[in-house]
Amino acid sequence: MDAKLVNPFIDAFMAVMPQIGFPTPTRKKVFLQDRNIVSNGVVVMVGFTKQMRGNVVYNMKEDVAKFVASTMMMGMPVAEFDAMAQSAICELSNMLSANSATNLTKMGLEVDISTPNLTIGQGLSVKISDSQYLTIEMDLGGHSVDIAIAVDRNN
Amino acid sequence: MLVEKVKVMIVDDSKVSRAILANHLSKTNFEVVAMAKDAAEALKLYHECSPDIVTMDMNLPDADGIECSRRIRAADPEAKIVMISAMRDGNLIARGKEVGIGAFLQKPVSTNAIIDSLMMLCQKKVSRVAMLRESYVKIFANSLKQGIFEMIAVKVEPVIEHYDKKYLDVDGIAVIVGLTGSPSGRAIFYMSKDTMKNFSKKMLSSEDLSDDEIQDAVEEAANIIMGHGVSNVNDVFKDKELRITPPGTICGAGIRVASPKLTTFKLTAPTNFGDICVNVGFAEGD
Repeated sequence: MDAKLVNPFIDAFMAVMPQIGFPTPTRKKVFLQDRNIVSNGVVVMVGFTKQMRGNVVYNMKEDVAKFVASTMMMGMPVAEFDAMAQSAICELSNMLSANSATNLTKMGLEVDISTPNLTIGQGLSVKISDSQYLTIEMDLGGHSVDIAIAVDRNN
Repeated sequence: MLVEKVKVMIVDDSKVSRAILANHLSKTNFEVVAMAKDAAEALKLYHECSPDIVTMDMNLPDADGIECSRRIRAADPEAKIVMISAMRDGNLIARGKEVGIGAFLQKPVSTNAIIDSLMMLCQKKVSRVAMLRESYVKIFANSLKQGIFEMIAVKVEPVIEHYDKKYLDVDGIAVIVGLTGSPSGRAIFYMSKDTMKNFSKKMLSSEDLSDDEIQDAVEEAANIIMGHGVSNVNDVFKDKELRITPPGTICGAGIRVASPKLTTFKLTAPTNFGDICVNVGFAEGD
């Protein structure tokens, strides 16, 4: 895949998270993967079509998902990863994808995004591509969120 | 389904076209309350009959269909208009959307296409669930039926139900395909571990398959069925531009999919080796 297509997603994460009450994220590791993703507990998948096709997955532990949901809801305690917390995570994924889409448009790529798909379950195998793809480990105030990006230009 | 008759006004300069449309609608719960041959008559009859929905031809003797629609919408900003014309291109759709035309169909229209468009536009009369079921889910159910028959030569009659549970729980495989366009959403093709083994054996006519081959077979089946579903939706609704994203495939025990803010349906195709299911969901507000 084209490494240039990765930056719009990282930039979106860096730009959106501080706007909704998180500390500025830092990029930890970037690595190429050709095996399936193993779910850390909460996996959100967003699909892209039009001039770029593929999937992007946000993978995090349930505790991290609860922390993210709580922060988004102005620090409201989130004891269970319940419907409201799930809705917050989907909303966040929507914001991140929409922001990424805007960044891609600036590169001249028109894209359309699917609704986010949230799956709960630890250790599940998640396949998003037949070929290699990139995973970026982001740190969010001591909490880790993996962004797996398997996208390609659609010629 | 519809309980109350929905009032329709047909605007078309051709007597034949008006008769054909009226004939299509006579088989349905839509009631033609007025027919206008030009823009002036359309405006007059709109006031007199207050139709729920208007079908609009492009060529009228005194103004074109877009101008006529603009005048109707100026009088009633809530007016619901579907354009039915011989010509249908991007420019026409763009100009039509500007004046508030809600759907575009090309002549000749099938009864199904006209009903689907009318139902979609008059959501105040038809619930969203019924609209989605009639317009989209039935098409996906048909693609599921055809796809299963083509791939494993098994005849199935998929059962459609509105799925209002909070979660979809799967032990086995769930292939998730995103839907973009209007409405956006996602479709999940899923089955149990045993069913997926038997399904892929039949599909590939082989007894000896690795886990990866089994997974790939189910993923390919999902891709084909959803691809057909989306093409068939696009054939009926010319302006929807529905597309599918590449599939994402989740395998394991205890897969739990949450779908906040989606209206979802479950399609179940029973076979003698287990149920082959699709859960299709559409974003609210589209």
